[in-house]
Amino acid sequence: MDPAALIPTPDALPVAWGWFQFFLFLTFFAHIVLMNAMFGTAFIALVSHLRGGASTACTEAISETLPFTIAFAVNFGVAPLLFVQVLYGHLMYTSSILSAVFWLSIVGLLMVAYALAYAYKDRYAQLAKGRLPVIGSITSLLLVIAFFFTNNLTLMQAPPRWSRTVGQVDGLLLNLGDPMLLPRYCHFMVSAVAVGGLAIALFFRWKQRKGEHAAGPWVATGCRWFGYATILNFAVGLWFLAALPPGVLTTSNTTGLLLLTTLSGGIALALPAVFFSLTARVLPALFCILGALALMLLARSLLRTALLAPWFSVSQLPVSPSYSPLYVFLCFLVAGLALIVWMGRFTRRSCADNEVRR
Amino acid sequence: MNYPIWQLDVLGGGLPIVLIAVFHVYIAHFAVGSGLFLVLAERKAQRENSPAMLAFVRSHARFFLVLTMVAGSISGVGIWFVMSLLNPAATSILIHTFVFAWASEWVCFLVEIVSIFLYAYTFGRMAPHRHQLLGWIYCGAAWMSLFLINGVIGFMLTPGGWLHNGDFWSAFFNPSFWPSLFFRTFFALIIAGLFGLATATWIKDSALRLSMVRFCARWLLIPFLLFMASAFWYRAALPPELQEIIFTRMASMRPFIDGFLLSSPILVLGGLLLAIRMPAGFSKTLAILLLLVGQVAMGCFEFIREGGRRPYIIRDYLFSTSVFKKEGERLQTEGILTTAKWVRHRKIDQANALEAGEDLYNLLCLSCHAVGGPMRDIKQLAAPYTPSGLEAMISGIDTFHPSMPPFTGTAEERKALAWYIAHGLNGRNDPEPVRLIEKVVEIPAFAPETDRYVLLAWSTLGMRYVAEVKGVLSLFPPGNGSRAQLIQRGEIPALVNQGVTLRYRVENGFVGAGGQSAPSGTMTAEEDVFTAEGIPLLPRSKQGFDPYPVITVEARDANDTLLAATKVVAPVTTEMGCNNCHGGAAQPGDHTGLNPETAMNILEAHDRLSGTTLLATARSGKTVRCQSCHADFMVRAEGDKDRLNLSAAIHGFHAHYLRNRGGGACTFCHPASPSGATRNLRDIHAALGFDCVNCHGSIEQQALGLLLQEQQAGKMRASHLLAPLQAVGTTTIVPRKPWIQQPDCLHCHVGYQPPNSDTITNTWTGGEQELYRNRTDESGRLYCAACHSSPHALYPAANPHGEQLDVLQPLQYQRNRLPIGANRACAVCHTVAMEDEMHHPNSLRAFRNE
Repeated sequence: MDPAALIPTPDALPVAWGWFQFFLFLTFFAHIVLMNAMFGTAFIALVSHLRGGASTACTEAISETLPFTIAFAVNFGVAPLLFVQVLYGHLMYTSSILSAVFWLSIVGLLMVAYALAYAYKDRYAQLAKGRLPVIGSITSLLLVIAFFFTNNLTLMQAPPRWSRTVGQVDGLLLNLGDPMLLPRYCHFMVSAVAVGGLAIALFFRWKQRKGEHAAGPWVATGCRWFGYATILNFAVGLWFLAALPPGVLTTSNTTGLLLLTTLSGGIALALPAVFFSLTARVLPALFCILGALALMLLARSLLRTALLAPWFSVSQLPVSPSYSPLYVFLCFLVAGLALIVWMGRFTRRSCADNEVRR
Repeated sequence: MNYPIWQLDVLGGGLPIVLIAVFHVYIAHFAVGSGLFLVLAERKAQRENSPAMLAFVRSHARFFLVLTMVAGSISGVGIWFVMSLLNPAATSILIHTFVFAWASEWVCFLVEIVSIFLYAYTFGRMAPHRHQLLGWIYCGAAWMSLFLINGVIGFMLTPGGWLHNGDFWSAFFNPSFWPSLFFRTFFALIIAGLFGLATATWIKDSALRLSMVRFCARWLLIPFLLFMASAFWYRAALPPELQEIIFTRMASMRPFIDGFLLSSPILVLGGLLLAIRMPAGFSKTLAILLLLVGQVAMGCFEFIREGGRRPYIIRDYLFSTSVFKKEGERLQTEGILTTAKWVRHRKIDQANALEAGEDLYNLLCLSCHAVGGPMRDIKQLAAPYTPSGLEAMISGIDTFHPSMPPFTGTAEERKALAWYIAHGLNGRNDPEPVRLIEKVVEIPAFAPETDRYVLLAWSTLGMRYVAEVKGVLSLFPPGNGSRAQLIQRGEIPALVNQGVTLRYRVENGFVGAGGQSAPSGTMTAEEDVFTAEGIPLLPRSKQGFDPYPVITVEARDANDTLLAATKVVAPVTTEMGCNNCHGGAAQPGDHTGLNPETAMNILEAHDRLSGTTLLATARSGKTVRCQSCHADFMVRAEGDKDRLNLSAAIHGFHAHYLRNRGGGACTFCHPASPSGATRNLRDIHAALGFDCVNCHGSIEQQALGLLLQEQQAGKMRASHLLAPLQAVGTTTIVPRKPWIQQPDCLHCHVGYQPPNSDTITNTWTGGEQELYRNRTDESGRLYCAACHSSPHALYPAANPHGEQLDVLQPLQYQRNRLPIGANRACAVCHTVAMEDEMHHPNSLRAFRNE
């Protein structure tokens, strides 16, 4: 069955597509960084418990921060979910329905993982040996959630895979037949471990600068996690590269050209990141990897464009202009971010004042 | 239509979204209301200088944080997930319309998360007024997110000006925006109090517990009047027709409206109760109970809001089936299977009818009806229907059921859908064609040389319907009528009605309606004719179903000498088609269309649609007689003068379900189906290929004629039933009274001449006396029916139950099947040939249709 016949008709945009592509990229970038920190730190805590350590300063710190990381990772997942629906909704709803059971189960799985994270935090001391199964469950749940996400979002980009289920849509379709699925999934999860390690390094660097000398070795630990995971991720990345369909990486069209550029740039920035991390220079490593991540996410978006090119391009979406709501949103955004920054400062100041008064 | 459909079956009808949404909404309102609650509780603790109270506020804040973050925010994302799974088309419209409202709401969420984290984790770490400022920021951000989502939700029910101008601001600030916002705000405060009670009742110290419980109780009591006022404001802001639909016409809304109205004062009472000092265990239990009552109240409200929007998901714009309102007409011509993307078959044939029906079900029904699950289970709802019955029901379902959309597909698709549901899911079939057992009657003797009398007898009606379930429902009681004329033969024959007694006797094996075997009696002598009315016959003999019991009529003089005898059928049947739609399928060989189950179903439907309590009456043992309210000429019932007469009510209502079917509409209910057990239409016209419509018009025309008559008589209800029929557009219809204004032979056979056409419409007899069955020949004395037989059984009639059955007298007197005296057989009565066309013009011509 011709895939084009199955693709639903998209609705009109209220403003030019570039706005949505911009917001999508920005918020997805934030989401990925936070998601990486969330999963990566959970994974590292699990490994730490597995290695026989009932508790370390590192796992304690992770238990304290995990609920916050989850909160922000989820929140920053909502925004790109909104924008991706605007641009690719007609494709994404289709792939979501085809994998409905798995997609919807994410809600329940995430709730359990989140609740367990609070248990890990609030009952860290009492759990004792129980910490391992708790953090193990959280990590496993997050792995499963990520797998379902990867399945859906890759299925969204593969209309030829849809026609198998015309008729009896039981919602149990996974994109297992796609050679890009596993390398993509692993690439993201290994990256998460890496960024998790860097997050730990950053955290303990901050503690170290506040005067806690015991934090020192943990900076190195975090950096090592980051470095080695990123090295592994080069290999996984090559696997992903090899799995790309022929004709995607090409210089014959703009998309292919940009894809080659951003990929190369991403790899190029990741190399110094590894170097900096293995020499425990946390901040340079951070800037390089953030740059690499940004370029890789751009590459991901370009890959999506290339894969969908035979059937769809965002530029073909009709526009029914209505710009005033956008301006209102921009006001909300600016005001909201300003308020958040102010709240942070206000709180720090108020707590400091209180300390002084004591 | 554009998207694949998740085969949910048991979980169909929207169950996943019900579960996730009602759960989320309760917690979300808690999240909004608690913004204010926490700050005011903290202020109270500060004011009373109570570290213990502050500790409670802090722990409540932690409880609040975990519950709203874990359950509230994730289930909110869950709503997004599930709504795009269950109705992607509507989700796409909402997303593309409100993307920036949602984006702004997301900013509010971010501010909420940051502020609540800061607030919850800095208790006692900063000056109180500064700490409270963080709480106020949270409160404002939370309310702002309610403000923003409120616009989206309200739009779905009252899209307002957006329908015409497509403008975001019209969509957002829609007609129900402000009342809904206030309603939800006050509801949020009440819910904050409920959750507060849930934690406050666990405080160990009794003095503190009482103080906090009383504080929380105030959150139930103070906003309550404003909450109820805004509920009424919300209702008043809805368009009038929507108010009527939700609060009057949708019977399914009643339990939720009652549930909401009942649970709200319970919350107040509970709050008042908790203000009294009581043992900890008791107040804990009460607090939990109130929490559950609050969830019920919320659930009822959401059900009213969502359910009242049916059949739309975006009112007046997009049906829940993801079909645009404006596309409906096009789809009825072109079909939805040719338009939808994810279907297996584009054309329906015998082999794929069930699969096509299943695809149609997924497209057009699954969004509201589960298959075997709790949400309006289609198997249960469709259980009373045969495939044809269901097809008819679907064709008119949106006329009287406000929650149903019009069927947006072709007639063929409708048939396939009905086949899938009634047969595929419920295993029902249409009644099989009936094999008739031939009935043979011994023709009475007649000696033309010597017999002095000719006795002619006929049934008043061509078929007497019986539709009655003793003790439950009486639509049409038994009571056949027969007439007879005794003619003394001679060159000038004479009608004899004095000095003779005519008796009738039903053939053996038949049981009368009262249980008496073989009813018999004496006919009443009237001017020129003998009549027997109210013969209580049922179509049941020892052989089984027999709608043509044979009556023997004997004329005897004063000395009891037999002057003449003849036989005639007294047609009676119970084969009415009620159980095609009303359940209670007859047993094989039974053919009774109105069974006890059927009758109960009819009464239930009548109660539901007309606001009566007939089912209760029937259950108490009293028979409900339709004619006690609905006037009916045939049983001489006056009925209620404000209500429609029975014929107008029944045809006027059912016509909406039986449109565009020609004669097939009639045979749905009336026993005229050529494959049925009765085969009522058995005369010369039926042999020529006529059906009911040729003379009586279509059911639409029938309904219009009857309703127009009632409308002219000032009955309001007639207009209600007329409107949807008139909307289709018909030629002018002449009003008619049932039973006594009928099509007549002379309307086509003008001046007794051969007819010009085979169809007549809009032409009725003036009154009862002009009816064929009451008319005489030009002598004014001999009844037309004496020579030509009963309506629908005119000679030469061919009864499929037995070819002699409806020509017994022609066979007896003329040894042919023609009207008495046809083809110059005047000698039957006159003993000699005649030259003048005395009885009626054209009577001496050769019979045209032998």
